[in-house]
Amino acid sequence: MNSSRGKTNESVVASLHEVAEEMHNKMMKGTAPTMSLPVRTKKNIEFNKRLGVFKYGKKRSIRDATSLRSANQLLRALHIIEFIEEMIDNGKSSTLREMYYISEAWGHGKFGSQNESNNLAEDLEIVTKCMREDFKLRPEEDGARMIGDITINERNRKGDWMTINARDDVGDSGYGVPYNVESEKLRLIANDVDFIMAIETGGMFDRLVENGFDEEHRAGLLHLKGQPARSTRRILKRMNEEWNLPIVVFLDGDPWSFRIFASIAYGAIKTAHISEYLATPSATYLGITADDIMAYDLPADDLSSKDIEALKAELTDPRFADGWWQDQINMMLELGKKAEQQSLAKYGLDFVTDTYLPEKLAGLGLI
Amino acid sequence: MASTRSKMQQASISEFFEKNKHFLGFDTLNRSIITAAKESVDNSLDACEEARLLPDIHIDIKKVKGKPDELIMISQDNGPGIHPDSITKVFGSLLFGSRFHTIRQTRGQQGIGITGVVMYSQLTTGKKTHVISKVKEEATAVHVDIGLDTKKNKAISSNRKRNHWFNSEGEVIEHGVKVQAHMKAKYQRGRQSVHQYLRMTSIVNPHASLSLKVYDEEGAIIDEGNWPRVTDILPRPVKEIRPHPHGQEIGSLQRFLRDSEERKMTSFLRHNFSGVSMRAARDILANSQIDEARKPGTITAPEAQAMLEAFKRVKLLAPPTDCLSPIEDLLIKKGLSKAIDSKFVSTVTRAPSVAGGNPFQVEVGLIFGTDLPSDSPVEVLRIANRVPLMYQQGGCLLTKSIESVDWKKYGLEHPGGRGVPKGPAAILVHLASTNVQFTSEAKEALSDNEEVFNEIRLALQEVGRGLRNHKRKSKQREKAREKFELVNVILPEISAKSSAILGREEPDLAPVITNIMNAVFSEEMSEWDSAEKVTKCSIKLFNYTNRPRQYTILATWPEREGVELIDENFEGRREAKGLRKWKLEILQPSDHLEISFSIDGLSKGDWTQFDVFFRGSGEIIGAMKLDEKILEEIRREETAAIEEAVVTEHGMESNIEDIIDVESSELDYVPKNALEDVVSETTEIEASQTNHTDENSVLNGQEKTVPSSDTTRQVKLFEENEWGDEQ
Repeated sequence: MNSSRGKTNESVVASLHEVAEEMHNKMMKGTAPTMSLPVRTKKNIEFNKRLGVFKYGKKRSIRDATSLRSANQLLRALHIIEFIEEMIDNGKSSTLREMYYISEAWGHGKFGSQNESNNLAEDLEIVTKCMREDFKLRPEEDGARMIGDITINERNRKGDWMTINARDDVGDSGYGVPYNVESEKLRLIANDVDFIMAIETGGMFDRLVENGFDEEHRAGLLHLKGQPARSTRRILKRMNEEWNLPIVVFLDGDPWSFRIFASIAYGAIKTAHISEYLATPSATYLGITADDIMAYDLPADDLSSKDIEALKAELTDPRFADGWWQDQINMMLELGKKAEQQSLAKYGLDFVTDTYLPEKLAGLGLI
Repeated sequence: MASTRSKMQQASISEFFEKNKHFLGFDTLNRSIITAAKESVDNSLDACEEARLLPDIHIDIKKVKGKPDELIMISQDNGPGIHPDSITKVFGSLLFGSRFHTIRQTRGQQGIGITGVVMYSQLTTGKKTHVISKVKEEATAVHVDIGLDTKKNKAISSNRKRNHWFNSEGEVIEHGVKVQAHMKAKYQRGRQSVHQYLRMTSIVNPHASLSLKVYDEEGAIIDEGNWPRVTDILPRPVKEIRPHPHGQEIGSLQRFLRDSEERKMTSFLRHNFSGVSMRAARDILANSQIDEARKPGTITAPEAQAMLEAFKRVKLLAPPTDCLSPIEDLLIKKGLSKAIDSKFVSTVTRAPSVAGGNPFQVEVGLIFGTDLPSDSPVEVLRIANRVPLMYQQGGCLLTKSIESVDWKKYGLEHPGGRGVPKGPAAILVHLASTNVQFTSEAKEALSDNEEVFNEIRLALQEVGRGLRNHKRKSKQREKAREKFELVNVILPEISAKSSAILGREEPDLAPVITNIMNAVFSEEMSEWDSAEKVTKCSIKLFNYTNRPRQYTILATWPEREGVELIDENFEGRREAKGLRKWKLEILQPSDHLEISFSIDGLSKGDWTQFDVFFRGSGEIIGAMKLDEKILEEIRREETAAIEEAVVTEHGMESNIEDIIDVESSELDYVPKNALEDVVSETTEIEASQTNHTDENSVLNGQEKTVPSSDTTRQVKLFEENEWGDEQ
């Protein structure tokens, strides 16, 4: 897998040129310039048996310059291509947000919102089969934080490797996962844990740290910070593959947490082109499950209309097609309730570490 | 004893007010100030209209220090002033309008007029109402305090003095009235406020300049509004007409009979009612078995009842409709555009019609703008005889008519087809009538009337079609604009950028453009040229197809007297009234051409958008294929209008003598001025009668004698009329 990474700058530029070439060729033939790319919705993601993750299917859409909107997209793509080429030539990199602001100077190629520029950068990744790291683009959102007896090597700005233990060498906030966690930047050295637990909220992460859960149960704790960044999913994947560590995911009990889990385990719809790098198919959903709400009699909120809409959409999402998920989703719809991780505090601050997690982990055979 | 009596009387006048404050308009503190402003403004508008003066009316409202529930309202106009002898009567008379012998459209059908304000002020704060009035003929103005003598139920004036009256600049005021009243009231903003009342009043009185300033206790301005006039044309003077038999009830008929001074029943019928010819009078009497020579005073109740029955059976002429004062669609348009910032205004003034013997006329306006809130119900502006209705919107006939239209069809959201439609729009409905029927004494909602309802519906559908057209057109225009930007701006950039990235030569874009556009485009423009004082129009045509094209292009223009089409760069021809055509030469692929012309005789903002039609194969984006059927219709109407004019003229000449002949036998009993009225009124009606036999046709004939402006016609022919941003 690592071999497929590490494209040379030349091959990246060549792939980008192919995009410009498609447009130029069409115009030379007297027709509207085009850019073809896979359809990026849940209708076009398929389970890839060989990789064990969901990838884009065969449906392709052609973006052609017959409407002003599409023509603008093509022009913007060309501006991005030019911008990336410049960065490669000058040995620079930029954040996606910086690129969005740089586009202010692109006249008609200017983006309307950062969402637009992010999406177009992703489009280019998909079309060229490159990753945004190849484009010298990085996200501004910080990666996850991690605490536990895990030792890694990270290359610093000077190019030197430094050794960090995510329990002994860090403060209470833990080890900050960098945006690039590929082997040229980060090496997994050693660990003395039985599993990795990925946690949705900072409050719960801090609770587990304070209660010494990592040491007591030989766990690596990782704070996802909501919808996890690519590097977060990537480092989970590497720890799972390279160290053969089980990954358990501890989230709120609501439709949005289900989606977070799907992006960790099966691949996100937006990044289905690189699912094989980001998704960990063996990850397990620990909780909060719909039956936890009943079994532990957790304080719960009513589902909003948006929640219900999201749950119904998940019923037809191929990633949630298996029976367990269908049961969970239907159960939540029937209950009409959702619960937060922190609702476990109903039974005291230590309930989650003393009772809930041990019971759930024992169920999985992890402790 | 005397003091007990006066107390009783005092109690009774307070009681009267207390009991009736709802329909007098003083039931809440918020409404009281609206009613006070409304009564003064209505008075001022009526007075100015009668004196043929363009009204300037200013309202000041001041909060009173230490009295949170009290306000001082000052209204000032530039009207003719009130004659010194009449001031007490105007401000202290408790009688309702007493003219039941004649009817016409007036504003003052609501409330008990300014007297109510005087009474309310006195009863709530004990303060007298201060009035200054100046008539032109006199050197000085009368300053006087008006109060009410609650013992005698009449007005008393005090502190009367004569003085020069100056405005804030120290200039002498020539004529006008200023009223200052101090009352219990509260000023609020919103849909029901003085501000909104004046705004609506200004829309339907485009000849009036209105302004408002509201001050807090410290004298700081907390609300203000300024609505300058948009036209110098005063509403046409309305004629008083006599009631029509169809509107009679037994009570009113008996009153007429009792009060009549005529000696014979035939003259009674002909002189007290409109629409009754000599022949009809005889028919009515024969039908009800009453001798023609009977004196009206001797008619018994059963006989009067028989007459009522006969009114229904005998063929009668419709009442004349020049007693109505429509605002006219162009002026509504100007009024609406002034008050609401918008992209599109469509207005329709229907021809006058008659319901139950009462002439009425419906006018509607629809304004559509991007600045109005798009997810709330449209603003409904209800107007009866130029007076805005502020309360009880739900139960009003005008609202029900709006709700009955299928607005979805015309491009407004109308959830479930019920209620008022939603969208960034305002709908105005004006009913002008000699007899506006309200649901209750509160006079805020009109009661159901099928004929009026149907007329409003038809008018609303007409403006609705205009809106639909406008929306379709803006959509087309937006589509065309996008395509032009695409091929003229974005595509060349794509070409340059991709060639630069690849280091290759730039492709020839002409075939690409043809491929992308694959259509013929038309772009029209209408602009006011302030230097030459003409409206410059142009139509650009682009052939973005790969085949040569040939078209005949047609455009609408406001053809009427005094308006000329000049400076054509291609020679055009007149296709029909208001429709010009140019037969064009072949337009090659990738080629374009421009038709240009100017319109002389209009003023700025009169003609900001027009329609472009075409004949020829293939579509043109931005122009409509000419519907030959509509063209036929236009031509037919044109021919009909010409014939009508000829026939009417002829008819009038031949009938005048006959009429005077008939009248001469009864001349003794007819006052001189009344005769003049009868002659002119009957002339018109008899003229149309010569061409039609049944009652319906008579009505139609009459409708056509009502002058309608060419602009109105344009609206109807193309079901569309747009008003640009300049307004």
